[in-house]
Amino acid sequence: MTRLTYILGAAWQGFWRNPVMSMASTFTVALMLLLFAFFLIADRGLQSAVSLLESKVELVGYLSDDAAVSEILDLKARIERDPAVSSVTYVSKDDALARLRELSEQRADLGPVEDIGVNPLPASLEVKLRSAQESRRVAEEMRAEVGSGVVTDVVDNPQVVDKLLTITRVLSFGGFAVLGMMLLVALFVIVNTIRIAVHARRDEIEIMKLVGATNWFVRWPFILEGMLVGAFGAAVALAALMAASGPVTNALIGFLDILPVSLGPNFIGQLAAGVLGFALLVGAGGATISVRTHLAK
Amino acid sequence: MGKGNDLISLEDVSKRYPNGTYALRDIDLHIEAGEFVFAVGSSGAGKSTLNRLLIREELSTNGRVVVDGQDVGRMTPGKVPHLRRKVGIVFQDFKLLQTKTVYENVAFALVVTGHGHRVIREETERALALVGLTPRRRHFPRELSGGEQQRTAIARALVMRPKILVADEPTGNLDPVTTWEIIKLLVRVNEMGTTVLIATHNAEIVNALRRRVIHLDHGRIIRDEREGLYAA
Repeated sequence: MTRLTYILGAAWQGFWRNPVMSMASTFTVALMLLLFAFFLIADRGLQSAVSLLESKVELVGYLSDDAAVSEILDLKARIERDPAVSSVTYVSKDDALARLRELSEQRADLGPVEDIGVNPLPASLEVKLRSAQESRRVAEEMRAEVGSGVVTDVVDNPQVVDKLLTITRVLSFGGFAVLGMMLLVALFVIVNTIRIAVHARRDEIEIMKLVGATNWFVRWPFILEGMLVGAFGAAVALAALMAASGPVTNALIGFLDILPVSLGPNFIGQLAAGVLGFALLVGAGGATISVRTHLAK
Repeated sequence: MGKGNDLISLEDVSKRYPNGTYALRDIDLHIEAGEFVFAVGSSGAGKSTLNRLLIREELSTNGRVVVDGQDVGRMTPGKVPHLRRKVGIVFQDFKLLQTKTVYENVAFALVVTGHGHRVIREETERALALVGLTPRRRHFPRELSGGEQQRTAIARALVMRPKILVADEPTGNLDPVTTWEIIKLLVRVNEMGTTVLIATHNAEIVNALRRRVIHLDHGRIIRDEREGLYAA
């Protein structure tokens, strides 16, 4: 109990003994954590955007007016057997026309659909996919059917998803690089902060060693001080995030009309835990490095 | 000087620094439990190095240093704190923490070695009473005389109930009257059963006490007498 009181007291004292340095490292850690949190949120947002778009990915195979019902059903069954396909819907010529009429009623600018006697729209098979990555292959397989008298054309629109996946990859790579650099900066600052704390307490350390304190007893206050820097940094970062989340969300909604990110309370909890855990790890890690190099013997 | 129940034994011990100079050379020294020993010799003769070997602040280049049955050179780093709890040490410059009171300075040794509240309170009071500083317990080192500061340092060493008390020039900064106070205190500590090893320059006290004297010169023991004088 006395032991714990001493270690905690020494860590707390160490933090406040040099407030300027402690604040500097706290804010550096906070900045790094903000970046960390930003990437977590961006990653989460992009992922939900990708899955949202993925669920909308469709391939449309337009059918020849001359195709027999049995041929169409046969093709439909074949496509449905593909594991990458989640569903195949048959849209008849009449269905297609009904849709066009419905659309024109909603959009005044298109003008009314006039009855021209003959329905020019082809029947089609709408294919929903489980995963966007497979769209190209499935589209190729359907294109192979063109000319066999059933399928006249295949339209796919996976480019959006492709681009989004590329953005995700670039962002996570760049994010890791920037985060890595920021981590180094934070570690550097923490190592120096703790070094100063070690220096300030060198008399105490000398006596501790002389009277037979164990090395861990000597080290713990500094490691805790590093964790304290991390914890304060996490508090600052999370407070800044919370303060900014309202305006930023509004701005995004105003700018994009939508916010494809679902930040439920679950995610916010995970984010806070992740940020705090990372902060404690960085603080303790930096302090350990410092103690190792400046507390030799 | 028998080998059977040595508390401290150095066999063929040398300490050579990387630049080639010897701090200690071919030292054979045996100290039994309960002895009171002066180590004398000019500055740089090796007295402080001898002290540092005993608490493993330095390692010998050759030979074997055994303290209380343990080979100091071969012990794992994890055992060193336990060695140091058995060997109390005081210095010429006291090494007190200026921001702590007399009581806190003495209690500090027990706190950082992980003792509980009750033990800390009882043992600290006992050590303060032993050195006669109970009335000064709430004072800070800067409010004390040199002798009182050294007594605080001695109390801090004794609070661990060490088997050996090593004093490195304990009276070097003190006036003659205070010097006698400290020496009398160390004699009393010895009479209570602690083995005492004092490195000193002070011929007067060595000659007055007529205790065992080890004379070091250029790292060698040139004299080891039962009831010796400062100079041969």
